[in-house]
Amino acid sequence: MERLIAAFSDLTGTEGVIPLSLAYAVCIGSLLGFITVYAMFAIWMERKVAAHMQVRYGPMETGGWHGWAQSVADALKLLFKEDLFPRDGNKLLFFIAPAVVFCGVFAGFIAIPFAAGIQIADLDLGIFFIISIAAVEVVGVIMAGWASNSKYSLFGAVREAAQVVSYELPSATALLVPILVVGSFRLGDFNAYQAQHGWLIFSGPFMWIAALVYFIASLAGCKRAPFDLPEAESELVSGFHTEYSGMRFSFFFLEEYASMFVASILMATLFFGGTTLPFNLFDLGNWGDYADAGRLAAQAAAANAPADLVAQAARAAAAVGPFSDLGNILAAHLGIVVLLLKTFFFIFVQMWLRWTLPRLRVDQVMAMGYKYLLPWGLFAVMGTAVWETYAA
Amino acid sequence: MNETKLHSRLREACPSGVGDLDTSAKDPFVVVEAAALVEAMVFLRDDPACAMEMLHLVTATEREAAIEVAYHLCSYTHHHSLTLKVVCPRPEGADQEWSPSVPSVASVYPSADWHEREQYDLLGVRFDGHPDPRRILLPEEWIGHPLRKQYVYPTSSGDIPLELDATPIYERPEGWTDPEHAPRAAGTPLVQPPNAPSARPHAGGKAPPPKPKGEGDEPATKPKPKPKGDGGAAPKGEGGDDMAAKIAAIKAAKAKKKKEGDG
Amino acid sequence: MEALEMYAVDDRADVYTEELKLNLGPQHPSTHGVLRVELRMDGEIITHSRCDIGYLHRCAEKIGENVTFLQFNPYTDRMDYLASMNNNLAWSLTVEKLLGVEAPERAQWLRMTCAELNRIASHLIAFGTYGIDIGANTPFFYAFRERESIMGLLERPAGARMLYNYIQPGGVRRDVDEHWVDDVLAFCDDFEKRWLEYNTLLSHNRIFIARTANIGILTKDVALANGCTGPVLRGSGVKWDLRRDVPYLKPYDEVDFDVPVGEGTYGTLGDCWDRYWVRMREMIESIRIIRQGCARLAEIGGDTMDKQMKRMYKTPLEPEAGEAYMRCENPRGELGFYVVTEGGKSPIRCRARAPSFCNLSVLDKLLPGTMLADAVAIIGSLDIVLGEVDR
Repeated sequence: MERLIAAFSDLTGTEGVIPLSLAYAVCIGSLLGFITVYAMFAIWMERKVAAHMQVRYGPMETGGWHGWAQSVADALKLLFKEDLFPRDGNKLLFFIAPAVVFCGVFAGFIAIPFAAGIQIADLDLGIFFIISIAAVEVVGVIMAGWASNSKYSLFGAVREAAQVVSYELPSATALLVPILVVGSFRLGDFNAYQAQHGWLIFSGPFMWIAALVYFIASLAGCKRAPFDLPEAESELVSGFHTEYSGMRFSFFFLEEYASMFVASILMATLFFGGTTLPFNLFDLGNWGDYADAGRLAAQAAAANAPADLVAQAARAAAAVGPFSDLGNILAAHLGIVVLLLKTFFFIFVQMWLRWTLPRLRVDQVMAMGYKYLLPWGLFAVMGTAVWETYAA
Repeated sequence: MNETKLHSRLREACPSGVGDLDTSAKDPFVVVEAAALVEAMVFLRDDPACAMEMLHLVTATEREAAIEVAYHLCSYTHHHSLTLKVVCPRPEGADQEWSPSVPSVASVYPSADWHEREQYDLLGVRFDGHPDPRRILLPEEWIGHPLRKQYVYPTSSGDIPLELDATPIYERPEGWTDPEHAPRAAGTPLVQPPNAPSARPHAGGKAPPPKPKGEGDEPATKPKPKPKGDGGAAPKGEGGDDMAAKIAAIKAAKAKKKKEGDG
Repeated sequence: MEALEMYAVDDRADVYTEELKLNLGPQHPSTHGVLRVELRMDGEIITHSRCDIGYLHRCAEKIGENVTFLQFNPYTDRMDYLASMNNNLAWSLTVEKLLGVEAPERAQWLRMTCAELNRIASHLIAFGTYGIDIGANTPFFYAFRERESIMGLLERPAGARMLYNYIQPGGVRRDVDEHWVDDVLAFCDDFEKRWLEYNTLLSHNRIFIARTANIGILTKDVALANGCTGPVLRGSGVKWDLRRDVPYLKPYDEVDFDVPVGEGTYGTLGDCWDRYWVRMREMIESIRIIRQGCARLAEIGGDTMDKQMKRMYKTPLEPEAGEAYMRCENPRGELGFYVVTEGGKSPIRCRARAPSFCNLSVLDKLLPGTMLADAVAIIGSLDIVLGEVDR
């Protein structure tokens, strides 16, 4: 972000509002584009995964190869569908609810580091920010459920509120464990730490517990099976978005897949090495830094920067050694690819579970959260504290 | 135990009101008087030698002279079954509004609850002492009991006019009515007496006489062009009143045709 | 004292929550058709329920009084459309009882084999949709894969895939082709393997058990008093099966099979899981019956339609005045037809005892006190077909 602002201020030759807003526009635009494209791909993937688990093929026609354009076609269809509104509903709440829901998860993307330097804002409290901003979604869902003037929607909304708020406890507790080890809330630090010390999941026995607790709790947070109670289609028809159609419905859909992405990428970043390969193969995690350094050098050269910066760039260039500038950039992007592969693996696991497991009942979900996940999460925190003090 | 033994045992228990066993029927049955019905049922259920745990079916049957209510009982312990019948003779001059009443056995066999409601709904037999005497299959505001032989079909349900044997609306060209397929006039019973051959082709009656070839071979569902001048081409979107006007027009056309035929 | 009372009132005012009236259905994914259940809810817990049926009422009994005995056969298909072979069988047996004729031996064995195949198909739907009710979507597709093969097998003699009208008074409409028996046996081998797959996928899944065991407990007494039959009754531990106890087809007397009953494996006797498990095991018993039926079919030849009946078919059947009640073990319970005739071409009363109708009547007694999600599980475990409930 800072770099973008700098670049734009260079480009326009002004300071202040204009480069800032330009930078914002670019960030938001690219994120929106990314989420939309990702969601379309994820929906197609979900349909394919489901189909192949259910002895069928899924979409095969649209677009030619394995129906790859099916999601695009669906999105277009949803865009052109009539926007229905329940007669006795609360119009204002009904219309802003999907936006609120989407905002929560969208804001979460701000703090996610795709690779070193490719991040909109490397917040000091990145993890904290993501967890807390995701709670905004609940407000939107309650608004949707209330405004729909449908009992099924209301049931779905109340279930969602109870479930998501309850499962924030175990998921936040489980996230404390890697935070304890790394000693930072800043997500970028996790990549750097794991590039040096290896994956966090291998750093102690309690990390496995924490990872499992976080994964299960994140399933509930994303309303994925077996915790998809808020939209349990066999009980509540479609839960809180029963009355929604067209574009507004697709916002809920986007939100679900986006929050799956956030949960999975957090899982990959915090426990499974982020941009690094296991056991630091090829030293992938540090490549980004090299590339960064190379880019800095280039920038410094272009802007006739002070001497110390040039010297730093020269040092960085020396560290990069045989790689050309292009190679640097490629290397940095390999990190992204690795991270995305891991993320999609966890997304796949979420889908896999959804098409395998039955749904829990509402009281069983609550019992699971408070009686099993929360104690195990706390146990993992304390265990890690002891482990880090004495064993490591 | 076979039916004969069951019957004699039942007769010992409640001598008044239990009639003879009709063994000529395929399933031998006992005619029980309405007053003794509940007592007989309780005995059959509680007596260890009978142990009729299950009331299978409650059926009301309308005959010429009476409405019969049959109860099929069976025992899972002893693998035997028995049929009880209550006969409600039709009083002199009874019209279709007549509804006989029989004591309810829902207190003895809870399974009778829904069966009795259904029989009330479809045949209009009242079951005294039923815990929840509502209609079960038809809407609560329904008039009449459709399984009665003299049941008159309603001409409308709420605001929706009902036509019988009508060509579906989606098959009609705009403003078209088929005079040969006119709706059944309101108030005519659908059903003939049980043994009379039905006027409908293949409906329990003789096959329709073979039509001369070439003439009238057209399938009945095929929309025919509307004869000019009859009823007038209805302008689009006239709404509910239009329907009544149409029906009247069809009737007029029919009467005219008949007249022509007679003349 | 007054102060105390005041407090009491205040307390209640605090705790009091408004009762919510929820219409489950008639358009709802889990009511298996157009069933409407009026629920009064205290939060997620059901305090009162009232079934409302009749949305699919077609007055089949009135139709029965207006058509001939033979013409009513296809209408029985439409009652329990998932087990139309069994419905045809029950109607045909009733008419045969009225006429006093009996189907030839080969027809009897064909009837039994086809009826059992259809029983498996029907239980497969019960299994698949129950998975969907509980939230597991995949078993449904597995079940449909096998059901598809069964429909393919039944299509060959019957010509239809779902509403067969194959079994008719006097026998079956026509004989099977020469490879049919081998194909059925091949299907049996295949199915047994698949069946084990179903169990690993759903039956013994921990979440599935948590959702179904100890839910909707139907005791033996309540089940009997309310006229429940079939797997619902057997799930409550009553070992009663018409095929074994009152063999309505001769072959049932000769073949060897078990009657599975509920045992309360994971919870209390008569819970949803027991009913579900009875259905699952019945499929395997049906496979046993089919195997024996196929073995016999390969041996015996002969007519598939009673000669006397064939002659009778030239004009509408006219049984002499009388009445007959015949019941058969359908996949959903005992289907009975009570026919009264006064000697005409059509009966004057044609009453069907629909098993789903009686099984459903117990729902209002099972629902209060359970949660909304359990309501779905209970409705699914009763395995109703609304076409049969409303007729």
